[in-house]
Amino acid sequence: MAPKKAQSHTAPSAQSASSTPAKSSSKSSGNALDAQEIVLGVWNKYVEKTPQRVKLLDCFMLFLAVVGALQFLYCIIVGNFPFNAFLAGFSACVGQFVLTASLRIQTNPENKKEFETTSPERAFADYVFGSFLLHFFCVNFIN
Amino acid sequence: MRSFSSLLSCIAVLSSFAAAELNLSQPLLSKQVLASTFKPPQVFKNVNLVRTTNLDKGFPRETINVIIENVDAKPQSEYYLPFESSLISRVGGLEVKDKKSPEKGALRVEVVGFDTASSTEFYLIHLPTPLAPKEQQTLSISYSVLSALKPVPAQISQADKQYVQYTFSVYTPSAYLTEKQKTKVKFPSADVPDYTTVSAELNAEKKADPQKQGSTFSYGPYDNVPAGAEELVSVRYEFTKPIAHASLLERDIEVSHWGGNLATEERYWLSNLGASLKNHFSRVEWQKQSYMNPPTTALKALNVPLAAGALNPYFTDDIGNVSTSRFRTGKRESNLELKPRYPIFGGWKYSFRVGWDADLNTYLRKLSTGESYVLKVPFLEGPKSPEGIQYERIHLRVILPEGATNVKYSTSVPIVDSHTDIHKTFMDTIGRSSLTLTAINLVDDFRDRDLIVTYDYPWTAGFRKPIVITLGAFVVFTAAWVVGNLDTSIGKKKVA
Amino acid sequence: MAAPASDTLLQQFTGRKTRGVLRFVILGLIAGAAVSSRLFSVIRFESIIHEFDPWFNFRATKYLVQNGFYSFWDWFDDRTWHPLGRVTGGTLYPGLMVTSGVIYHALRALTLPVDIRNICVLLAPGFSGLTAFATYLLTSEMVASPSAGLLAAAFMGITPGYISRSVAGSYDNEAIAIFLLVFTFFLWIKAVKNGSMFWGALTALFYGYMVSAWGGYVFITNLLPLHAFVLICMGRYSPRLYVSYTSWYALGTLASMQIPFVGFLPIRSSEHMSSLGVFGLIQIVGFVEYVRVQLPNKQFQTLLRALVFVIFVVAFGGLVVLTVSGTIAPWSGRFYSLWDTAYAKIHIPIIASVSEHQPTAWPAFFFDLSMMIWLFPAGVYMCFRSLTDEQVFIVIYSVLASYFAGVMVRLMLTLTPIVCVASAMAFSQILDTYLDAKIPEQGAKENGSSDPAKVAAAVLPDGLRSTRNPLVGIYSYASRLTVIGASTVYLMLFVLHCTWVTSNAYSSPSVVLASRLPDGSQHIIDDYREAYYWLRQNTPDNAKVMSWWDYGYQIGGMADRPTLVDNNTWNNTHIATVGKAMSSREEVSYPIMRQHEVDYVLVVFGGLLGYSGDDINKFLWMVRIAEGIWPEEVKERNFFTQRGEYRVDEEATPTMKNSLMYKMSYYNYNSLFPAGQATDRVRGVRLPAEGPQLSTIEEAFTSENWIIRIYKVKEPDNFGRDHQSATAFDKGHKKKRASKRKGPRVLRVE
Repeated sequence: MAPKKAQSHTAPSAQSASSTPAKSSSKSSGNALDAQEIVLGVWNKYVEKTPQRVKLLDCFMLFLAVVGALQFLYCIIVGNFPFNAFLAGFSACVGQFVLTASLRIQTNPENKKEFETTSPERAFADYVFGSFLLHFFCVNFIN
Repeated sequence: MRSFSSLLSCIAVLSSFAAAELNLSQPLLSKQVLASTFKPPQVFKNVNLVRTTNLDKGFPRETINVIIENVDAKPQSEYYLPFESSLISRVGGLEVKDKKSPEKGALRVEVVGFDTASSTEFYLIHLPTPLAPKEQQTLSISYSVLSALKPVPAQISQADKQYVQYTFSVYTPSAYLTEKQKTKVKFPSADVPDYTTVSAELNAEKKADPQKQGSTFSYGPYDNVPAGAEELVSVRYEFTKPIAHASLLERDIEVSHWGGNLATEERYWLSNLGASLKNHFSRVEWQKQSYMNPPTTALKALNVPLAAGALNPYFTDDIGNVSTSRFRTGKRESNLELKPRYPIFGGWKYSFRVGWDADLNTYLRKLSTGESYVLKVPFLEGPKSPEGIQYERIHLRVILPEGATNVKYSTSVPIVDSHTDIHKTFMDTIGRSSLTLTAINLVDDFRDRDLIVTYDYPWTAGFRKPIVITLGAFVVFTAAWVVGNLDTSIGKKKVA
Repeated sequence: MAAPASDTLLQQFTGRKTRGVLRFVILGLIAGAAVSSRLFSVIRFESIIHEFDPWFNFRATKYLVQNGFYSFWDWFDDRTWHPLGRVTGGTLYPGLMVTSGVIYHALRALTLPVDIRNICVLLAPGFSGLTAFATYLLTSEMVASPSAGLLAAAFMGITPGYISRSVAGSYDNEAIAIFLLVFTFFLWIKAVKNGSMFWGALTALFYGYMVSAWGGYVFITNLLPLHAFVLICMGRYSPRLYVSYTSWYALGTLASMQIPFVGFLPIRSSEHMSSLGVFGLIQIVGFVEYVRVQLPNKQFQTLLRALVFVIFVVAFGGLVVLTVSGTIAPWSGRFYSLWDTAYAKIHIPIIASVSEHQPTAWPAFFFDLSMMIWLFPAGVYMCFRSLTDEQVFIVIYSVLASYFAGVMVRLMLTLTPIVCVASAMAFSQILDTYLDAKIPEQGAKENGSSDPAKVAAAVLPDGLRSTRNPLVGIYSYASRLTVIGASTVYLMLFVLHCTWVTSNAYSSPSVVLASRLPDGSQHIIDDYREAYYWLRQNTPDNAKVMSWWDYGYQIGGMADRPTLVDNNTWNNTHIATVGKAMSSREEVSYPIMRQHEVDYVLVVFGGLLGYSGDDINKFLWMVRIAEGIWPEEVKERNFFTQRGEYRVDEEATPTMKNSLMYKMSYYNYNSLFPAGQATDRVRGVRLPAEGPQLSTIEEAFTSENWIIRIYKVKEPDNFGRDHQSATAFDKGHKKKRASKRKGPRVLRVE
């Protein structure tokens, strides 16, 4: 479940944007043109408005999503023998993904009013703390 | 040499933990190793010997009064006393006194002969002044034999009378020719159903042997018994009392100068060597019986007389407080009455600990010569009862305050091992010096013996602890203050 | 209850630092009160581990301290569940033991060699102090007024609902778990408020700690998602929620999987699915929100509709497939019993037989929570008035916890914190209103201090408004005095009630019983320890003891002997085997006992003393559990008389009279009384004149008040006879009769 969401989440952010229109067009019959319009609109807006730093973060998130999806695929096809190893790897991806997403949200100037107390530096410190914990657990879990 | 013996004793201590049932006294005491064919030089003869065997308690107590005479040409000072090697490990508290001048205290005694091949081993008694040729001296030798009573039958019912059997040699073991000797056996009651009779031929007066007189039997007299002669006899008599036996007693005495307190804790591993129950324990019978309170082989209670001024006693075992104890305080003596959780029948065990506090001033004295202190405590306290209690092994530890140095001790109790080491406990930085003494095969007759410990304790040592604690607290507060300041500064940076 | 009073005093100090220090001191005092009110049992009895489960925790802690962490982790215990053994390291929540182990070693490093038993005994009171502090923090997050926090801390410190599980000596998982529960909630609220990864990660950390400490962590696992879900449904989604929830879930789930006992449950079992679902949902919502900002409104709606549909289909389909294929475990039995209270009674007698799994009786609420039970709804109502994110949390928490507390006695514990928080909010509102109002009368010009009071008064519920109406003059004085006086009286009564309940109901170690002698002095009945210590000292080290599972942990802890079954109850069949041995005839029981190498059998008998928690009263559970496995051989019906009564006297059924349990309980009991006078003081009945006879086992020990009776299982007879005939022979019965009896019985055995 998770990777699919991840995919759809990152969809507009980069090249794999085609997955979302594919779905929406198939379900909302006949709105293909409309959908294309939407996607294009989103894409343009994204390219224009997003700061460079945030784009970097998005790339990283995309990478994580792809790795996560690959692991999941591997698990389905080859089997999940060292289950905790798979789980550790997969959770590391998901965890890192959400942490990065959180960082992105917090540092995004658009959300400034939501996070009055958190400066970008603070957010980054939190991010490091969270990632540190995450990887500690993963390494411990892998054995 | 010293290190060797201490090593030996260490091994012995270790092995005794492994096999707590065994008595391993020989290796601890031996200093001189004799050839297996060793026979003491025949320089003495026993002119007259009277042995009294007292069977009142749960262990036989032997007293030998003997007049010895030097038959050699030179003055002699070494008198040997032989024991079977199976017996010597159970002989405890052997003390020799000069009958004429008992106030001089005990003579020096040691065990010789560390030779497993030989079946006989010896106690070597050093006479304070060598005995001139043809001179006579009267020695009074006393000792008790532990684990010597064997219940026969080995299993009895809960309300039955218990009979125990004691086997000994009517000829008192001696390494020398004994011209005249006699053995008196004192029983706790006249109920002696079985005893070995010795043929009248051997008797010097050709009378029936033994002679009965109430609860006292006397074997002998016998004339000119050669060295090493043995004639085993057994007596079986009624002894419906528990035979309390502590395989180990650990006793800690902790001196606290700051608290002015002397804390004692004793840990017992107790068992009853009496006859075991034929059927299992029946509570119905026990409850019915308890109204009449007849003599029983079960150990129902222990009375521990404590010195006056004992405070805060406690009685616990491995799973907590034993609520069935009572403490009576009196002007001259306090009494701690302990009731084990269950009556201890023959073959049953019970381990527990008791402890109490006392005012240090009654035990400790500061010497006028500077910073030395003298501590005088009883070597052994513990339960007191008419049937007695035997201790296979006692570890006494005296824990002195932190910083005490130059620790010395003296006691009249035979000690097999002693060493000083460091004991770390509450808030210690360098640890407290502790003196550990080990004694084996003691009986409760040794209750009133004192242990005197002297040590140096400079007054500065007394301030170590408060200073350390203050420093520690100061460091903690400083650290908290520093960390607190640090934290806010980081926070400001981040928030900004 | 100095908190509210001194809090108004605080108003006079202007310096913030002084207030901070005062608050700190008050919290310290509250913690002190919380700790000391839990020490009743130590003072009245001694420093001893209580009840049943704590004995196992204690034993495990000792093992941890002696053998180190790693061997504790891999601990296989062959002294329980003989002959199966138990993989203890992987089947317990290690949080408690590790906590005390850490404390032990820390103290040791500080040169304070405290006995591990004392650490275990005092752990629960110590943590209750921390819980009071955590409650203060939690409440302070909820309302602005610090007095509510202090009041909540005070309530939490002394409320019997919490004390019941945290008196000194009750060394159970709950001892630290409640602190962790409250603290995790505090961190969560903090995280939601600030939308901070840091707090979210801390929440996850403490959640992990909680998972390691108590099975009740599932409560958090479901409550936090529910809170997030409700917020989303209310249209209150915010990036803050996304940040806090995702960072908590991602880290918390990983943390919880570190515990061997939990393992893969968080992704397998249904109890954990809600959090996963909400995790997915919040991703979608987050994404959608993001897109919404980027898009014009109309386009967005089309997209949304499509997206919602697709995701619903995929998610539901996935769940169904996974459940059917068995990847996700079905709901556990204990969980079912949460929804249907009769479920356990029918399906799992072993769960139903535990008294703390019973539904709560109504009086228990008043007993445990006293006046807070009516303050609590008021507090919840106040939350509705200004429904911020964190107050939504209170509402959800209180609804859920109230339900669970009603279902299972044990879960009263999870209700207690929220009740304290809510009622403290209500109470502090009342006090703030009526106490602060005095200030404007002394200096009416001071707007600053009177304003909040008036505002606060305005939000008061209608019922109280009438008392507020007369604003000036003597009336308001009177009404204020009345209200304040009444509240003070209530607070006093509350303290009295709490103290009374604590000292009377919750401070008994249950290992040691206390009674009063006619002269008023305390008499201690110490039969349990007497018998356990006898076992410990006078039986071989590996003598197996069979008893009903209630006493398994105690035997393991105090007698240090291997047991067949214990309070872990992981193997129902094994317990049923013991139940069968207890409820069958000797001829059936003996082979079972030989098979399991039983050396001693221990029963608890309260007949002499009138101790009602004995085995005869628990006997029907044994029968029921045994019947669950061997319906053919053990039948509950046979233990009831024709008229459906459960009797032990003359009219008891033959099955009852021949059962091993009955025989062991009443063996030899007759001879304590004059002929025909034997009475059972628990059941209050006269017993049959002829006592039961035992042939395959023999009495080994009976404690002073007969509470514990220990029997030794006989070795097979030397002459190859069965035990019945051997006993008969020994008693001098005629051989004919013996052989007559022998015939049919042997047949039945084989």
